[in-house]
Amino acid sequence: MNYAVVLAPNFALQALRRSEAALANKPFAIVEGEGRNARVTEASEHAIGVEPGLAVTLAMSRCPGLLIRPRDPNAESEVMRVLLAAAFTLAPRVELTAEGCCTVNLQGADPIQTEKQMHACVAELARAGVGARLGAGANPLLAAYAARCAEPVLLVSNPAAFLAPLPLSFAEPSSVHADVLRGWGIKTLGQLTTLPKTEIGERLGTEGAQLWERAAGETIRVLRLIEPVRTFAADWVYEPPVESLEPLLFRMRRFAERVALELRGAGRVADNLALTLQLEDDTDHHREFRLPEPGANVDGWMRVLQAHLDTVKTEARVTGVRLVATPARPPERQDGLFDTALRDPVAFWENLARLAAIVGDDRVGTPVLLDTWQPDAVALTKPVNAVPAPEDDSIHPPRGLTFRRFRPAWPADVAIVDARPHAVEAVELHGIVRVARGPFHLSSTWWKSGAAWALEIWHVELASGATYQLSRTADGWCVEGVLD
Amino acid sequence: MAYVELHARSAFSFLRGGSDPESLGRAAAQVGLPAFALCDRGGVYGSVRLHMTAREAGFRALVGCELPMEDETIVPVLIATQAGYRRLCDLLTTAHLRAAKGEGRVRWHELAADNAGLIALTGDEEGPVRRAWRCRGAKAADEAGSKLREIFGPERLYVEIQRHHLADEEEENDFLIDWARAQHLPLLATNGVTHAEPRARQVLDVFTCMREHTTLDGAGRRLARNAERHVKSEAAMNVLFADVPEAVAHTGELAGRLEFTLDQLGYRFPDFAVPENHTQDSYLAEMTIFGGHQRYGSVTGKVKDQLQRELALIAKLGFSGYFLIVWGLCNYARQRGILVQGRGSAANSAVCYALGITAVDPIGGKLLFERFLSEGRSDWPDIDLDLPSGDAREDVIQEVYRRYGRRGAAMTANVISMRGKSTMREVGKAFGLPNDVLDRFSSLFHHGDYPQTIKIKQQVRGAGYSGDDRQLDLLLATCRQVYALPRHLGQHSGGMVLSAGGLSQFVPLENASMPGRSVLQWDKSDCEDMKMIKIDLLGLGMMAVLSEAVEICERRGQPVDYARIPRDDAKCFEMAQAADTIGVFQIESRAQMATLPRMKPATFYDLAIEVALIRPGPIQGDAVNPYLERRAGKQPVTYPDERARPILERTLGVVLFQEQILRVAMELGGFTASEADELRRAIGFTRSTERLDRMKLKLREALLRNRVTPEATESIITSLASFALYGFPESHAISFALIAYSSLWLKAHQPAVFLAALINNQPMGFYSVATLVQDARRHGVKVLPPCVQVSEARTRVDDDRTIRLGIGSIKGVRAASVDAMLAARNARPFVSVEDFLRRTSFSAKERRALAGAGALNALAGHRRAALWQVETQAANDELFRFAVAEDATPPAPLEPMTLVERVRADYTHLELTTGAHPMKLIRDQLNDVWPAEELKQCANGQRVTIAGAVTCRQRPGTASGVVFVTLEDETGTANAIIWPKLFEQARLVINLEPALMITGKLQNESGVIHVVAEHVEPLPNLSIPVQSSHDYH
Repeated sequence: MNYAVVLAPNFALQALRRSEAALANKPFAIVEGEGRNARVTEASEHAIGVEPGLAVTLAMSRCPGLLIRPRDPNAESEVMRVLLAAAFTLAPRVELTAEGCCTVNLQGADPIQTEKQMHACVAELARAGVGARLGAGANPLLAAYAARCAEPVLLVSNPAAFLAPLPLSFAEPSSVHADVLRGWGIKTLGQLTTLPKTEIGERLGTEGAQLWERAAGETIRVLRLIEPVRTFAADWVYEPPVESLEPLLFRMRRFAERVALELRGAGRVADNLALTLQLEDDTDHHREFRLPEPGANVDGWMRVLQAHLDTVKTEARVTGVRLVATPARPPERQDGLFDTALRDPVAFWENLARLAAIVGDDRVGTPVLLDTWQPDAVALTKPVNAVPAPEDDSIHPPRGLTFRRFRPAWPADVAIVDARPHAVEAVELHGIVRVARGPFHLSSTWWKSGAAWALEIWHVELASGATYQLSRTADGWCVEGVLD
Repeated sequence: MAYVELHARSAFSFLRGGSDPESLGRAAAQVGLPAFALCDRGGVYGSVRLHMTAREAGFRALVGCELPMEDETIVPVLIATQAGYRRLCDLLTTAHLRAAKGEGRVRWHELAADNAGLIALTGDEEGPVRRAWRCRGAKAADEAGSKLREIFGPERLYVEIQRHHLADEEEENDFLIDWARAQHLPLLATNGVTHAEPRARQVLDVFTCMREHTTLDGAGRRLARNAERHVKSEAAMNVLFADVPEAVAHTGELAGRLEFTLDQLGYRFPDFAVPENHTQDSYLAEMTIFGGHQRYGSVTGKVKDQLQRELALIAKLGFSGYFLIVWGLCNYARQRGILVQGRGSAANSAVCYALGITAVDPIGGKLLFERFLSEGRSDWPDIDLDLPSGDAREDVIQEVYRRYGRRGAAMTANVISMRGKSTMREVGKAFGLPNDVLDRFSSLFHHGDYPQTIKIKQQVRGAGYSGDDRQLDLLLATCRQVYALPRHLGQHSGGMVLSAGGLSQFVPLENASMPGRSVLQWDKSDCEDMKMIKIDLLGLGMMAVLSEAVEICERRGQPVDYARIPRDDAKCFEMAQAADTIGVFQIESRAQMATLPRMKPATFYDLAIEVALIRPGPIQGDAVNPYLERRAGKQPVTYPDERARPILERTLGVVLFQEQILRVAMELGGFTASEADELRRAIGFTRSTERLDRMKLKLREALLRNRVTPEATESIITSLASFALYGFPESHAISFALIAYSSLWLKAHQPAVFLAALINNQPMGFYSVATLVQDARRHGVKVLPPCVQVSEARTRVDDDRTIRLGIGSIKGVRAASVDAMLAARNARPFVSVEDFLRRTSFSAKERRALAGAGALNALAGHRRAALWQVETQAANDELFRFAVAEDATPPAPLEPMTLVERVRADYTHLELTTGAHPMKLIRDQLNDVWPAEELKQCANGQRVTIAGAVTCRQRPGTASGVVFVTLEDETGTANAIIWPKLFEQARLVINLEPALMITGKLQNESGVIHVVAEHVEPLPNLSIPVQSSHDYH
């Protein structure tokens, strides 16, 4: 038992379920591919009749109410970090072998103690919301096979007997070799190893011989070890953004569990937590908490975090969260009774959020013209770091009068004679129209109910000599600006 | 002269116009324009439609075109003379034939070389002048305009100005006006029309998104600014151009210069090259009389009278050359050993019969010649030639090109228009609907154009659409506007148009997507409207089967001549009455098989009726049940009017054929021959129902005037309406019945030959090869697997009851490898797998397929052993291929495949099994499931469960949403009826599962057995190989 493998079966499925509370006890499947090529890759145990490889439409026909999700790379990376943290609790030499799988070099470890630790590791992972299987064997391959068969822990002592009934897919043949072997009727590793290795090599080449060795559990390799983490942080996004506390806390706990596990793996605790809520309006809400008592206990952390979040009201929905734990040696003494006051750092974005609270969210940012024919349609975007280069001069220099827009436009009464404006009456403007040019028509967004717009625009010269732009919408007339 | 719109694009500019030409024409007529010019992009695609609309609405349809130039500018040209039109067609043909589909561009030097009869406009924002002004300024615009002036001269170039109520357009117009005045060129006001009415701007916006592959939200300033590019009245244009009234006045003047309309097309059918001292007429008469002697034995009495009457009429109408050309093509086909048979109304002509164009004797069959040709007929007669599909048909098509030149012949176009599912997909994409919703809509609603049992709104919701109701209304309203507009141009299945003096002078030609084919810019109705002659060279898979069957029988010393097989063969009719018709032409479909036991055909003519009866026309016209009831003696034979008795006697008083409607119109309604012909054309016109509606009105009035009772009149009118839904002419039904009977005869008397020919000519017909093989097995035909030692490339007949599958029937094996293997085998038989591998050139994949299909069993012993041996180093390495073979091959260390494994391997490599049906292998796991064959023992109303591979799903438009599903098991096929409610509940299961288990009540009506489904579930996890099924066709 030189090696152990920590494996999270149905990795993508577990990752998704761990990050999305709504999926608990629901039939759901992970889908890859687009359109008609969309296929189920993993399905939850509640998705009756749905198997990997099934077309999505067929899956939906077999399991009404089936929820379809794509893979979630963030959730998967999180589970991977949990697995690694758990693996480091077994031994310090750990390899990130594949998605949902890491291999631990146990050489020199006490077998009895290790088996106990493996069971503890499974329990730790279960608490962190990850169902894992652990296997151990003489080499990494055997350990990996054992992990795939473990319920939840399996130590291989008789490799030949263990390997014989395993399906051929365990040895991961290439698709061509899988086809050939299927044609030969080879379904198990044992069946393959009963064929002479040389004959296999002659027919399937070097790759075939290697496959045979994998089937015999004979492959030896050196682990590509990774370094344990030195920063203890988690950040995640909400798609769609959340506006209530429940989903926020659900995922926060998941991430906190991983960070705590990493701290424990490194023999550390946290004495300070920093929480940043990223909001939909591109602002952040940031707080730091000095923990009443340094520790790696998730329940304790969550109590502190929830107590704060219960009192917070953000102006926008939460799109992402960052949680950073400052590592410390485990405490040797109790902090002072009154040493719990929160520090209150001031951040630029918090100020911006305060500004937004005063003037309104829609009035903070950099204005950018929208790609539409609608006049004066702008959106406010987050300020950019670099000022863009000025555009090239127009082929045709501007001619005629310059238009100065009134913001807001002035509501007006316009008298019409012979379908043309005859007189204008607004709060700050009134007069008889001497010349009227128009109408100019603009309209669009007809495809959105309630958002369609149509403008009738006139350029009118009043008796005073000044020229104004009038526009008529379904709501009536207004003076939009002056041409001068 | 008043204002004329001289620059308009229709939806035939493909995604650059939002209305069809008919709508534009109607809008032009409505605002009182005296003329209207259609300038579609790169062609004259919509010109005939506008021309026909103009003819009805009373304005002049002028012809124009937006020429796509090599520098991507667009030059609108208008046609002044016939020579100009011919030049335009030639220019466009040259541009299109040298480029990929849709990429044709005219070169400037070609336009400069010869443009007589063309008048150019400087164009809109895509025109050379305005484009240059916008991108490079006034000087560049002046240069671009001068280039046009040089090409067309000041008399044939107009400076186009447009006003669309936009504030910033005047700067550009000011330049154009100044430039025109400086150059002494006339100004021309146009509205650059892209849609008929303002609201069709929405269609244009959607099309812009489709063209730019974006959504309405993402298209931004690529969308129209407003809805002003619609057809406008003279008054509106006068107001817009009040400051330059001459620009409007010039439109009328220019329209006056445009003498050409499509009335002056000048199309002429080519002459047939006749021997010296002969005219077209005399040569046709000589060949007809000669053929008549061969067909009838002697040309006397009735035969002589009929032939002379027909020849006189053909000569009078000037059609002799046409008959000779078709005759020439038939002769060509026969010389090449290609089976050919004319069908359609040509089968009503004794001349066609005498010339060997058709195989139906119209005199013996008392067919109506006027259906084919009449004095009053204004268009050319319709002769369709059925040819074996595939290479043989292509050979005849290429011969037409060889005879008349690349620019002398082309296939007619087939306008692919926006249908239900494609409309929802395209409009949905533009509205930004997620792909998964659109995919689900497509999957849920197979073939969206059949009558749906749930409302479209529910369908979209069911696909996962989550927007609000008003938004959904907008989406659906846009879909309705887009529906039926042209999307792109395809080619007609077989219609070819020829002309004297080069077809490309009359209509531009383009490359078809199929290599070696060209297509003209008009569809078959356009060609008919322009009196252009189309010869349909149609490919029929069954013709190829009959042709191959003749060859096989000949080789086996049992020659077959379809013209001489007895028409009263008892076995044939026994099989037809028992609906034992899988594989038989036309009468093999589920609906036909469900009618045959009730119809009980006993004569050849009964078969013709059967062919015509199960069509949407008679079904919709409520003719099927009355006919069957009368035939069974359960209903008295009555006639809508006693005067109709001689016409309807053969069909027991029920109108089944188009000819009958025409004769009723003539005999009871007093229609003249030309009115009857008008009626025939209205029935055949599928684009809109307007023509038919007019004729219905006319016939109704005529019938009532001639004292036909109102009830009888209505019944006749109903029959007429139903023929617009694909009713058959009698001659057509008889032509098809000939093929159906021949194939039935083969199935009855040469089942092995029939099966081999069917297998060799796939894909065709209603059923998969797997089903055909299972059916043949039930008829005692043994199907042997492919074998490298004895099989040929194609499936062959070993004896009267045995066929051997060809090596070519193994999937993934290339024909060239098979040919090389056969050559090696002919040189010396293979002695071992090693020997086989050494002397053949199959790839590793092909070798595995051969071994997996059992084709190497004769050399290896069993499939596994073969699979083991084909992977040896000798097989994989070129170096080893020339090594000396070892004497003895060590035995393979693998067990032979089990029965289940062999069946699965069969389906993998052959898509069929020569062994037991997969259902037989799982029969003992299916408790209480009735085999199909045993259903006839069940009592009517008994609840039964059936199971099997789905071979057919149908939802006929005539069945009010009922779905028919056919399941195949080892004993035969069982049919289930699924009512709409159950279908909607289990739509996905029914549509997507390859094998089903259906429980319901058995219904046995006159031997026609159905299970009326109450519960449908998949038949999963039992390892039934997936079989292809015939779905919703």
